[in-house]
Amino acid sequence: MNRIISRWLLLPVLLVALVAAAGCGSSSSSSTKTKNSVKGATQASLTGTINGSGATFPATYYQTAIQGVTQANSGLTINYNPTGSGAGQTDLQGQLVDFAGSDSLVKPEDVAKFNGGKFLYFPTVAAPITVSYNLSGVSKLSLSPATIAKIFQGDVKTWNDPAIKADNSGVSLPSTAITVAVRSDGSGTTANFTKYLTKAAATDWKLGSDKTVNWPAGVTKAEKNAGVAQVIKQTDGGIGYVDFSDAKASDLAFAKVKNASGSFVAASLSGASAALAGATINPDLTYDPLNAPGKDAYPITAPTFILVYVNQTDKQKGTDVKGFLRYILTDGQQLAESVQFAELPAGLADKAIKQLDQIVVPK
Amino acid sequence: MAVEAPERPHTRGPISEGPRPPGVVTDHLFRWLTLGAGLMVLVILGLILFSTTREALPWFRSEGFGAIIGHDWIPAGNNPKFGALPLICGTLLVSAIALTLAVPLSIGIALFVTEVAPRPLRKPVIYVIDLLAVIPSVVYGLWGLSVLVTPIKGVYDDVASTVSSIPVLNTVFSGDPHPSGRSFMTAGIVVAIMITPIITSLTREVFATVPTSQKEAALAMGATRWEMIRGAVFPHSRSGVVAAVLIGLGRAMGETIAVALLSGSSPRITGRLFSSGDAMAAIIANQFNEATDTWRSALIGLGVVLFFLTIVIGVIARAVLHASERRMAGT
Amino acid sequence: MSDPSGPVLTAAPAHRWRQTKNALATSALVLSVLVMLVPLVLIVGYTIQRGADVISWRFLTDPIQGIDQLPGGGMGPAIVGTLLITGAAAAMAIPLGVLGAIYLNEYGGTSKVAGVLRLLADVMTGVPSIVMGLFVFTIFVLRFKEKTGFAGALALACLMLPIVIRATEEMLKLVPSELREASYALGCRKARTIVTVVLPAALSGIVSGALLAIARAAGETAPLFLVIGIVSKTNTDLFNGPNTALSAQIFRNAGLSFEVSQDRAWGAALTLIAITFLFTILARLATAFLTRRTAS
Repeated sequence: MNRIISRWLLLPVLLVALVAAAGCGSSSSSSTKTKNSVKGATQASLTGTINGSGATFPATYYQTAIQGVTQANSGLTINYNPTGSGAGQTDLQGQLVDFAGSDSLVKPEDVAKFNGGKFLYFPTVAAPITVSYNLSGVSKLSLSPATIAKIFQGDVKTWNDPAIKADNSGVSLPSTAITVAVRSDGSGTTANFTKYLTKAAATDWKLGSDKTVNWPAGVTKAEKNAGVAQVIKQTDGGIGYVDFSDAKASDLAFAKVKNASGSFVAASLSGASAALAGATINPDLTYDPLNAPGKDAYPITAPTFILVYVNQTDKQKGTDVKGFLRYILTDGQQLAESVQFAELPAGLADKAIKQLDQIVVPK
Repeated sequence: MAVEAPERPHTRGPISEGPRPPGVVTDHLFRWLTLGAGLMVLVILGLILFSTTREALPWFRSEGFGAIIGHDWIPAGNNPKFGALPLICGTLLVSAIALTLAVPLSIGIALFVTEVAPRPLRKPVIYVIDLLAVIPSVVYGLWGLSVLVTPIKGVYDDVASTVSSIPVLNTVFSGDPHPSGRSFMTAGIVVAIMITPIITSLTREVFATVPTSQKEAALAMGATRWEMIRGAVFPHSRSGVVAAVLIGLGRAMGETIAVALLSGSSPRITGRLFSSGDAMAAIIANQFNEATDTWRSALIGLGVVLFFLTIVIGVIARAVLHASERRMAGT
Repeated sequence: MSDPSGPVLTAAPAHRWRQTKNALATSALVLSVLVMLVPLVLIVGYTIQRGADVISWRFLTDPIQGIDQLPGGGMGPAIVGTLLITGAAAAMAIPLGVLGAIYLNEYGGTSKVAGVLRLLADVMTGVPSIVMGLFVFTIFVLRFKEKTGFAGALALACLMLPIVIRATEEMLKLVPSELREASYALGCRKARTIVTVVLPAALSGIVSGALLAIARAAGETAPLFLVIGIVSKTNTDLFNGPNTALSAQIFRNAGLSFEVSQDRAWGAALTLIAITFLFTILARLATAFLTRRTAS
């Protein structure tokens, strides 16, 4: 009996000892504050819990904003589950969440599925989608939309192809084969990237635009921005579309893209803001900054929205949702830059704040 | 083994206490309670079948037969198609690789434990193998991504170039033009590790039922241990091992997270083992969150198809086991 | 061993060849065990290597870092979530499973009903975990319009139930019929016999089987991530609001490009492995402890 116990107790004791030793040995980083500290709350204290889900593209920004607003309102808890735009829309349809994040607009045939009735789009932030690449010896790259289309379609197969050379006069390009990395999972980033190509390279781009498209056989597929970034990083000659914050986190080089006004602009927050300034805003506050006019505009800037129902069913949750949105559109805008997102232009933010009044919270 | 409680005489005597012996009601209640618990299995399975099939109906309606036999899985775009065939083939391919690797290994380990190992070594080996069974699937996937994927690319390239001149092999052992290390083969290898414990444990039980008399008879006639295994253990265990393999197959087919992370997520019908691909359970995990409408319905439909396949395999395994048990009883 | 003056029963070269084959086969068998040890050592070793730096008392208790790309935070809510959800699943599946197995072995025997139920239990062990998740999502989450820890517990309970039934039935089969007969002879009715005689006799196996089922369930990801949502602060209420678990956090963090997220994933992986191994070892201990008890 003692033999058995002593023999088998050894293992868990070892495990516990290991964990404890690791614990004593390591120091923990306790910093959870963002770089920009938050100015005081702009509304009365919010309490309770609200849940949201949806787009992964703006997840870092929403997490930062959530931290800001919950620091100012200590009784408030907000859970945002970055599952994907599609899940966000479906969750909101079934009223499983109080708000949904989505990079793409709801298709007309799906509008009726929203069980809570009419819903509103609130623009929140925007960010560039980079065309990241990894090519030894080439630190600066410029690409026109037509060339990008041909590369991602598989028409252009090597880096020293005349099409790429034409965009990069004076740069010597190796004959390395191009490895195209795309998303394997459905993604709002893919939707926006392909939408851009449909707009800007209409004659060359044949694959259409959606959360995933029928990529040609030779491409490498990877999960999420992280996966695509990893493929590009590990492959000399790799190229792919990665959202700005992930591209920066992975230390990738990205190409300058020719915008609608003819200038080659690098992916940056100022380029994104310029694109937002040039975009037309629809009455429901949706807008499309892809291939926006303006000489400083970065053409592959993707918008993202939060969807909420007009008629809120719960007083506390309705107040919280309104408060959270108001925070994003006021104090929260300053947080965007620190996490690589572009603020909304003042005019659009004001319109969105006005739209908040349309939300009806029960008394 | 249901030994029936003997009927008690309704006469007064020193043991019975009163006209109605106590505990009759509780006894019956208990029986119904346990029956109810058992029936829960039926209820749950029925609910699973009903709810998932109902959610999958829009998929069947929009694709018709193409749902199962369609060649293309293109979930979005102008002309979305949701054909399950690439995913079914992918699941079968990954499972085939996993079984090819796991079955010989499992049989070897089981034989080691039952025939070769000295007594004190048996339990430790069994416990260690069972530890493999308990490692969560997501940790296998994470490990595969961090440790296996990059070096295995090189291995694939080497193998591909070695067999490049042999006609059939050079197609089978080839892959994508720019391999990422994620492929049917990588997923298959990791799944093989994951299903080895269950196949080993089942095979062990089968080998343990071989009558010692037969084994001793073989040894008495001068057979070496290996010859004894071949002559006495194997013939006796054939169908049991088949059943164990089938159960391992069912497990391999249902493996979700590890395959989702390691398969390369490119649904296609191919015989190239080193190319990236996809499988039913994996694609549900990867794509469910972005999916809406028909896409979502198609993914749930894939779950239904997978469910049916595992049922069929489970039933066949059971039938094989039963046949062998009946045969053994007659031996 | 061979008598030099007696008949030579085997020809020498053939004998050597057979011995060689035997030796080769034996080494192949030993090799297969060693081959299986390699991935175990590699995986556990790598997990310890990557995870040990991350684990600390704070890591195990702090709330989850709200902003993925920043370092810091811990897995406290995930650990609590895993334990609560798995615990609730066990509380549902184990009693139900043991009762079901009792029916199959003690009452059903070889009857048709029992045969069908056994077949269904076997079928249910084969249901892929993702299908369980889809099922609970459709039936429960959409109906009650909320992602909760309880939904996750339901899905895990469905996964555990057939395992517990099968393992318990095997254990009950092993209880010698003499024990039951003795109890009947003393005047006990069937229910009482089962509860006071059969179950205690089979207890060690049942407990060990249950603990192993719990260990497996604690590691499951697929059934959970669809139905429990996410939180960054511990939620001890399984019925209200979303929750999180170690397995779901590993899956989520593994897909993020930030270095700190990868570290968190490994820390959580090490914690999860430690928990599942602990349950496995408890199961072995229980078998040893309880068997000795009943034997003496």
